[in-house]
Amino acid sequence: MDMRNVKGVPISPKLRSNFGGHKLHFWQVDHKIKNISEVPGNIILSSPQAWQKFEWVKKYFERKPREGYFIWIKKEVDFPLATCINIASPKISQDLANLLVIEKGIKVKANVVCSALKNNLCGRHYAQGKLLLKSGSSLEYNHLHQWGQKDFVSPDYEFILEKGAKLLYTYKNLLPPENLKLKTTIQSNENSSSNLSFIINGLNSKIGIEDTILLLGQNSQGIVRLRLVGRKNSQIKAISKIFAKAPGKGHLDCQGLLVDKTAKISLIPELICQNKNAQITHEASIGKISEEELNYLRMRGLTEKEAIDLIVTGFLKM
Amino acid sequence: MSNGVLLKIEKLKVQANKKEILKGVNLQIKEGEIQTLLGPNASGKTSLANVILGNPKYNISQGKIFFGGKEITKFPPEKRVKLGMALAWQSPPAIKGVKLSQLLRKISKVTQVRPVSELGKELLEREINLDFSGGEKKISEVLQVLALNPKLVIFDEIDSGLDIKRLELCAKIIKKELIDKKVSVLFITHWGQILQFLKPDLTNVMLGGKIICKSPDYKKVLMVIKKYGYEKCKRCPYISKITK
Repeated sequence: MDMRNVKGVPISPKLRSNFGGHKLHFWQVDHKIKNISEVPGNIILSSPQAWQKFEWVKKYFERKPREGYFIWIKKEVDFPLATCINIASPKISQDLANLLVIEKGIKVKANVVCSALKNNLCGRHYAQGKLLLKSGSSLEYNHLHQWGQKDFVSPDYEFILEKGAKLLYTYKNLLPPENLKLKTTIQSNENSSSNLSFIINGLNSKIGIEDTILLLGQNSQGIVRLRLVGRKNSQIKAISKIFAKAPGKGHLDCQGLLVDKTAKISLIPELICQNKNAQITHEASIGKISEEELNYLRMRGLTEKEAIDLIVTGFLKM
Repeated sequence: MSNGVLLKIEKLKVQANKKEILKGVNLQIKEGEIQTLLGPNASGKTSLANVILGNPKYNISQGKIFFGGKEITKFPPEKRVKLGMALAWQSPPAIKGVKLSQLLRKISKVTQVRPVSELGKELLEREINLDFSGGEKKISEVLQVLALNPKLVIFDEIDSGLDIKRLELCAKIIKKELIDKKVSVLFITHWGQILQFLKPDLTNVMLGGKIICKSPDYKKVLMVIKKYGYEKCKRCPYISKITK
């Protein structure tokens, strides 16, 4: 295992214990790479380094990257890939361009964390990501966000699924920033499948979600599940779309739970069909916390807040 | 208040959806006492149980509730539970995504949450009341109530939906875990099936939002109800003799 401490910024023991144990990882704090760990057969570089080193990656970046990671999985490993991008200092503005390439037939599990280490840093986190899943590969991608109250966060991820590729994607954000714009696009080619879950707890935040599955190949499949909770002072707008250009199958399952009177949730499922043999469906609902459930739990000794938290936890579980 | 009285309800009048559903209820339960409350559908039994536990859905327009000598009429439900009250619901709601074991850990006042004998073991890792059969719901309620380590338990129709074997097992557990430990129990029941296993010290009959009679002899009360029906309870010769 090759381990490089690229820039000599001190690593706190807590962060090291939380993250340092991964064998295959990329870790950046503010604009500095804290640590890269890779195993033979796989490549992890900063995106600017990859731009210099590999001509072929340039078509996946919109412009010359300033920061971010390039991960090229050519050999299967029996442990998860981990990436962690933190904001630790005040008023940092990250502008990340990330590229993950998984070679043919390889299975990967990735645990991806983006977070602010304090609540009041007023940070900005822009991330453009391309994830290329080559034929027959599969990716389980667990994407965790935790932000401070004054942060602005805008990730834009595009997954390209080649023939027979499989994607299981879970985005979880229980501590949202002041403003979140989350854009996710899936290009699903022949016999590929994607299963997307977005679990978001809105609190004092404005959240815009835009996810699109493009069914481009025969027998391509896509499922999207949204579980959105509107707590105090939160506004959530989710546009969830399946566009069938080929005879594939897709389903949207959008559910919102409005917890506070100051919250607003807007769900817009959209189905666009350009192929008569495609089958795409959707369901959408927004509800409130049931008084009966709330009183039931209170009559088990939980306070009103504890009871709401438990019901919300259950709602967000998939 | 003393003399071993745990729960005292005085002249309780209650409204729900602008309709008076309890019309002056008086009830006393002593420490370690077993009582039963019989009554037809919509007589106010479940409402009374919910009001005792402080369900905010109900408005008390008159009367007082005391528990352990303390007036609790305006206490929220969680505070009443902390004082030692518990209610096993007749039709408990499902809580999606939350396992029974998770809730038991959260509410447990006893050191270790455990299924009592084999009862309920298979329910622990399931979501609370989701797709539970009628009988499974009752067992889940018993487990939750036991986890609260209460001083008073109200069982609302615990005997409906249980087959005779499970009813007998439930009754055994209630006896061992509650009655033998001097916990007070109020059984709300339609037909009194549970009473063949657990004998009450006092039987109350509720009709039209009022407790219209009390008797130490549950067999006689059941016989009267069977013979004359609830509507004739007021004129029942046995009960009028007893209550005089």
